[in-house]
Amino acid sequence: MSPTFRTLRMAQATLRELTRRRGVLGLLLLVPLVFYLGRHDEPGQAIRFASLGLGFAVSAAALFSSVGGREIEPRLALGGFRPRHLHLGRSLALVGAGLAVSALYALLIALDQDVRHLGAVVLELALTTLVAVPLGLLLGLAVPRDMEGTLLLISVIGAQMVMDPAKDSARALPFWSTREIITYAVDGAGAGSLAPGVAHAAVTAALLMAASCAVQAVRLRRRAHMQFG
Amino acid sequence: MVYPASTRPAQGLGETPGDDGAPVLLHAQGIVKSYRRRRVLNGVDLTVRSGEVAAIVGSNGAGKSTMLKICAGLASPDRGRVSVRGRLGYCPQDVGVLDFLTPGEHFTLFGAGRGLRPAAASRRGRELARTLDWSVGRRTLAKDLSGGTRQKLNVVLAALGDPDVLLLDEPYQGFDRGSYLDFWKNVWDWREEGKAVVVVTHMLSRLDRVDQVLDLSPRTGTEATL
Repeated sequence: MSPTFRTLRMAQATLRELTRRRGVLGLLLLVPLVFYLGRHDEPGQAIRFASLGLGFAVSAAALFSSVGGREIEPRLALGGFRPRHLHLGRSLALVGAGLAVSALYALLIALDQDVRHLGAVVLELALTTLVAVPLGLLLGLAVPRDMEGTLLLISVIGAQMVMDPAKDSARALPFWSTREIITYAVDGAGAGSLAPGVAHAAVTAALLMAASCAVQAVRLRRRAHMQFG
Repeated sequence: MVYPASTRPAQGLGETPGDDGAPVLLHAQGIVKSYRRRRVLNGVDLTVRSGEVAAIVGSNGAGKSTMLKICAGLASPDRGRVSVRGRLGYCPQDVGVLDFLTPGEHFTLFGAGRGLRPAAASRRGRELARTLDWSVGRRTLAKDLSGGTRQKLNVVLAALGDPDVLLLDEPYQGFDRGSYLDFWKNVWDWREEGKAVVVVTHMLSRLDRVDQVLDLSPRTGTEATL
């Protein structure tokens, strides 16, 4: 049985679990819309807020998925899954679902706003999803319950909203790229630039994925006292 | 015969010592575990051979579930070692399933870990379910199953893929009497097949004919062979 088969089975199970929680899913989908409509009179701000709302929603979904899998993942690891199958499978499902939601918001923005670089908005929404998934997974692995994780996530998104993106310290926040790319997309190359935003998102997503994968591997490690003959 | 936990002689995996003959599939030696300052396991040994059923008994908080988790490799002891020959199947006390998946989807997910194709995993899962007098519905989600049926799902998932060692933590909670008897019939069948089975229980009746009992009650802390 190939590792890919196990990874895809895990992805399939995660996606089914996620899409069947319709109430939670509906509320999470609503967050970016509320953020968007709240600043609808200012196109740039509306897109920024919708993107951060998307980041929050996808991270929260990943957080709940990670915490919800805490009971069953040790059993799956005992039953032949490697930690990387579980982590990659869960990530694939969440990225797939997140990209579908980001496509919906890209469509909404394309129909509703006059944006200079629509392609950059689409790219930014996709990158926000790619950052949000490992961020939520890492929080879910690091905290004891989803309540603590949610509060941490609110703190991160809140800091992202209030901090001046021009400050160097703002680059330490995971969604700095979101604001930077939207500034480029809405206001043009003079105000923001694409490359640093894309690079920031890529590095942040890679670091968060590596960290969450490492925490997962430690949690599901073969204990030192076990010997298999 | 009663062996003080700390003095029972150690044996290696697969050995066929003395008059027992069958190979050792699970061997836990000198297990020590404390929570904060309270020691719950103090040098506990457990040896289960192929074709044997062991019961772990004791009062609430005696460390039965902790001992089983340590044997499964899901918790670390402060001291001691566990050796396993073959594959492990583990059924937790608390229901550890995914609420929004159907039992059939659980079978295919757990079967993938065991190297089973979806159709084979589904078929085997339904066969095992039938032995527990459970006809698996196609659309019912795990969250909508009764407590007893969810526990049957747990037992089936533990046995899926034909593990050599089965560790079952109070697996029949919520079972009706018929299902309870079916469960023990399964245990005897697994014993006949040469598996090593460990059952944590606080209700050991005459029906539960086991080969050995590990009593973790604080006053005894000993292992007895029936």
